[in-house]
Amino acid sequence: MDNFSLDAEHLQVQGTQHHTLAKGLDDFDKVYGLGYEVGHEDWSPYPRVNYLRQTFLDRPYDIDVERLRLVTQSYQANEACPRIIQCARAFENILLNSTLHIYDQDLILGEIAAPAKASPIYPEFSVDWILDEIRNSPFEERSNDQFYIRNAQDRNEILALCEYWKGKSANEIITAHLDEDQKKGSHMGEKVFQTNNYHFAGIGHFAMDFTKLMTLGYDGVLQQAREAFAKLSKQDPDYSEKRDYYKATLISLEAAKTYIQRYATLAREMAKVESNIKRQHELQQMAQNCEQIAGGAAQSFWQALQLFNFAVTLTQIEGNGHSISYGRMDQWLFPFYEKDLEQNAVDKSFTLELLEVLYVKMNNPTKLKDKGTVKVRNGRGFGGESLTIGGVNSLGDDATNDLSMLMLEASVHTRMMNPWVCLRLHENTPYELKVKAIECVRAGYGHPKSFNDGPAIKAMISKGLSLEEARNYAVVGCVEPTLPGKEFGWLDAGYVNTAKMLEMVINGGRILAGPNAGKQLGPDTGSLESYKNFDEVLESVDKQFAYWCDQLCSCLNVTDKIHRQVKPTPYISAFFEGCIESGKDMTYGGVKYNGTAPQAAGIATCADSLSSIKELVFEQKKYSGKELLDAVKDNWQGHEKLYALVNSSKIPHYGNDNDEADQLFNFMFECYCRHIKGRRNARGGEFSPGVYTVNANVGMGLYTNASLDGRKNEEPISDNMGPVHTAGGSHDISGPTAIVNSVTKVDHSLATNGTLLNLRFPEDAVSGIEGRDILLSFVDEYIAKQGMHVQFNIMSSEKMRAAQKAPEKYADMLVRVAGYSAYFVELGKPLQDDLIHRTELRF
Amino acid sequence: MAQQATILNVQRFTLHDGPGIRTEFFLKGCPLRCDWCGNPESFTRQPEVGVFANRCISSELCDDCKLVCHDLQMLIFTDSKLDSIDRKQCSSCLECAQVCPSEAIRPWGHSMTVDECMKVIIQDRGFYERSGGGVTVSGGEPLLQSDFVGQLFKACKQQGIHTCLESSLYANWNKIESLLPVTDLFISDLKLMDSQRHKQYTGVDNHKILENLITLSATNKPLILRIPVIPNINDDEDNIKASADFILQQMQGKVRTLQLLSFMRLGEEKYQSLGLPYKMQDLKFDRAAFQKKVEKIAVYFNQRGIHCMIGAKEKAEL
Repeated sequence: MDNFSLDAEHLQVQGTQHHTLAKGLDDFDKVYGLGYEVGHEDWSPYPRVNYLRQTFLDRPYDIDVERLRLVTQSYQANEACPRIIQCARAFENILLNSTLHIYDQDLILGEIAAPAKASPIYPEFSVDWILDEIRNSPFEERSNDQFYIRNAQDRNEILALCEYWKGKSANEIITAHLDEDQKKGSHMGEKVFQTNNYHFAGIGHFAMDFTKLMTLGYDGVLQQAREAFAKLSKQDPDYSEKRDYYKATLISLEAAKTYIQRYATLAREMAKVESNIKRQHELQQMAQNCEQIAGGAAQSFWQALQLFNFAVTLTQIEGNGHSISYGRMDQWLFPFYEKDLEQNAVDKSFTLELLEVLYVKMNNPTKLKDKGTVKVRNGRGFGGESLTIGGVNSLGDDATNDLSMLMLEASVHTRMMNPWVCLRLHENTPYELKVKAIECVRAGYGHPKSFNDGPAIKAMISKGLSLEEARNYAVVGCVEPTLPGKEFGWLDAGYVNTAKMLEMVINGGRILAGPNAGKQLGPDTGSLESYKNFDEVLESVDKQFAYWCDQLCSCLNVTDKIHRQVKPTPYISAFFEGCIESGKDMTYGGVKYNGTAPQAAGIATCADSLSSIKELVFEQKKYSGKELLDAVKDNWQGHEKLYALVNSSKIPHYGNDNDEADQLFNFMFECYCRHIKGRRNARGGEFSPGVYTVNANVGMGLYTNASLDGRKNEEPISDNMGPVHTAGGSHDISGPTAIVNSVTKVDHSLATNGTLLNLRFPEDAVSGIEGRDILLSFVDEYIAKQGMHVQFNIMSSEKMRAAQKAPEKYADMLVRVAGYSAYFVELGKPLQDDLIHRTELRF
Repeated sequence: MAQQATILNVQRFTLHDGPGIRTEFFLKGCPLRCDWCGNPESFTRQPEVGVFANRCISSELCDDCKLVCHDLQMLIFTDSKLDSIDRKQCSSCLECAQVCPSEAIRPWGHSMTVDECMKVIIQDRGFYERSGGGVTVSGGEPLLQSDFVGQLFKACKQQGIHTCLESSLYANWNKIESLLPVTDLFISDLKLMDSQRHKQYTGVDNHKILENLITLSATNKPLILRIPVIPNINDDEDNIKASADFILQQMQGKVRTLQLLSFMRLGEEKYQSLGLPYKMQDLKFDRAAFQKKVEKIAVYFNQRGIHCMIGAKEKAEL
């Protein structure tokens, strides 16, 4: 904690930059602009890419009924089957019968059983909100995240089909398996924690083993499954379950092959009638690609991208979990790039064009979400499609290659929500790669995010992985380090509102105010009226957190077990080590490593609240505990003096490099991580804590009573690892170096499921070559101080306000929300305001 | 030997006064009174109170300042919000600033020792090292507290930290000379070449400043020179030409960079907080035309062989 002392080691890291021969197409230090420009020109050098990008932006967010129809037909036809077979048959029915789409100028095929940008419906998970919202609060009329049902006929068909699913969906079954005691703190009760994500939707949140698929092809994986099935003994007590798993796997993989073959056929047919020779050739080549990879391994870079897109979209057809991440894409894709270059099969420019076409295509999958979810988490994409580049290889050496550079170039040439590019940094990351990443950041569209190999690898090892495995982590979703193809981490398992837990701490386990004021929700571990000293407060925090983490984790284990019963995912399981080998679906714990990872929000809200208590009640003794308690019970009304005081710099606040305040943050951070880490989950793995909340801090704040950091009822709680900002003022007033120092006083590796830090600079702060170097050295120092993750918005408050006023001029302005970027003008007003209120770091 | 200094503000992560990421100390007290000054809180040497009326939560909800003030007549309320303080009566005991919960009354200036400053400096040392940054002392006029600056810079040099002094150089040469061994970079101004006009707009004539610039340039110490370009005050051709002549002839062109800082309307709120008039209040000018003029001035200097740029960003030498 003592930053005053100097250690020799710290002095040695400075100054030396490493270099690479890896090259993209642009100069490594090409400047891509500074922030978003109204009326900007096309960003990509490829007209095709600009065309595809624009057609994406122009397309409406429709709701498509076809998947719902095909799934329902199949379930009805197979009602007596074992569930896993029923699931596989439904998947097969979609793949054999859904409408295929090949779009003008596209080079990569495959959607998610719906037209581009249209959302399918996944009745397996939940339908009651769909029925309710269509009837009572139409998707078309939402203030944000609108979706459009095409016509009355579709509307009626959706309603009719959804009726079949009543009482059968995962959500209803999970709810029926939770008792009142479990519900009271959940999203169905007081929202101390929210696990509704996986009541309403699939799990997702993984990176599959792409190398396995690329090198074996579907035929190779089928072969593996058949061989394992052949070895299955009838003496095995789980014989029938395993048999059904293998059967489901074979059905699913065979269906995948047929589906790809259908695309080949369609492309051939379209080529026959295509008058443009160039396009005809492209269609023929795409048909040939599909014919090869329908069963076989990818033989070229283009085929690898094509197989990748099928692999991912099929995952999204099987289930609707988000954060289907792309793993270390510059690594697993590199052999194909290298081979193509060696054989002079394509030039580097076409490689980049293909990557950019794929990037645009990655934006097509959208997902209809319930109104409660979009309140806490804006965005109509699936979300979480992280693409990891850079980092060290399994030996610990830098892994940068040409694709690392090209993947950043493709990102800055397209500037869309997807993919969420993540750069893994370590002490030997080459200068050229860092500069290119910084130039992307300065362009102001929010990508890439930076991840630190140091604490991430340490976190992976503490989850039980070997060093070699740990070094191969990829980032999934926002900030979750995960081992591709070997880990089913059940990430983003639930949002935990630590501010709400603290409410119980100060008020004897009771709700402070509102309609349920005085209701005994948690155990009585004391209150501000009873604590004799500050240590008693901290002990109470510990007890209260222990209780609520028990509640949370018991609910999550119920959810886990119901997904196993209701919606196993045999197609996805085939690409995870351990499933085919053991005859167990991933939902049954078949994968080598298993986690469950809920994430905390409001740590700084708690820390600054504790600071108010410590300072005013126990140190200065200016106020009694009761006076503080009354202030928040009254939502600060009639306590204006105290309100001003707790929001002033007279109270030590987290984020200012003040050891006293930062120790309280550390206490809260460590307390949450300790109570989650190491608990056993339903799949034979362990729970894993994360300290990131995406933008759920806004929605959670809406349900949280006033807090002693100086927050009023309904205001956002603190975001991720960030400091507090309330309507009474931003609590971080000492600039970005102080924030970094505060944030890095905690051991980030304790949050084995990741931490998240947002920083925002106005454009002029990072302008010029000087600004680039400042940002570079700033990131380098954050990494040296062992922060796990950092991402930047390069956008002034004025620009965001201008976009609120004239949204039409800012239609494609991306803003970094949390782990992800989103179109600013499509966000809900509360989130827009929260982004504006996050401290702009000026100098 | 002064162990303490009156410090107005410590700003971490400044990027504009010297290269790289820096921690900057603004020392209180200045012998100049430039009309365009954006930091009027730096004028007097003694700590004083600043009043930010819009932060006051009203005397009906809080009377903490009244409870500590020695003479209630000094606190002037409008619509029950503290509006200003009678500066003639105020002894600057600062007790009201200490108790004010809403920071409507804030202390301008506080004492810090060299050790206290070093503690803050060390916290960002990694950032300086990576960015080629360091410590800058500015003001006010830091040479008013030159002993302290000398000790602080000595402590910095012992830690290998880059030091930069931003000063008007309105001081006796011996004070500057004593800082030469511990100062890596100087930043100073050429405000107006005509001494009478200099006196009119800054309160002092420019003889001492120009002499010191000549002497300093002869030492070959790295020097960044700035012209705060103020509409209708120093943006005329005569002054610009005289400035170039001075740099080339008297200073032998020994200026690392000449930075043109275009006038910005800054600090009005701070003037209000101090109960002082803002002299640029009535200045009316066409921002776009002025900016073009500044660009032309930059071209002129560069044509004369003086490395000149607009703005204060400085490339670090790593």
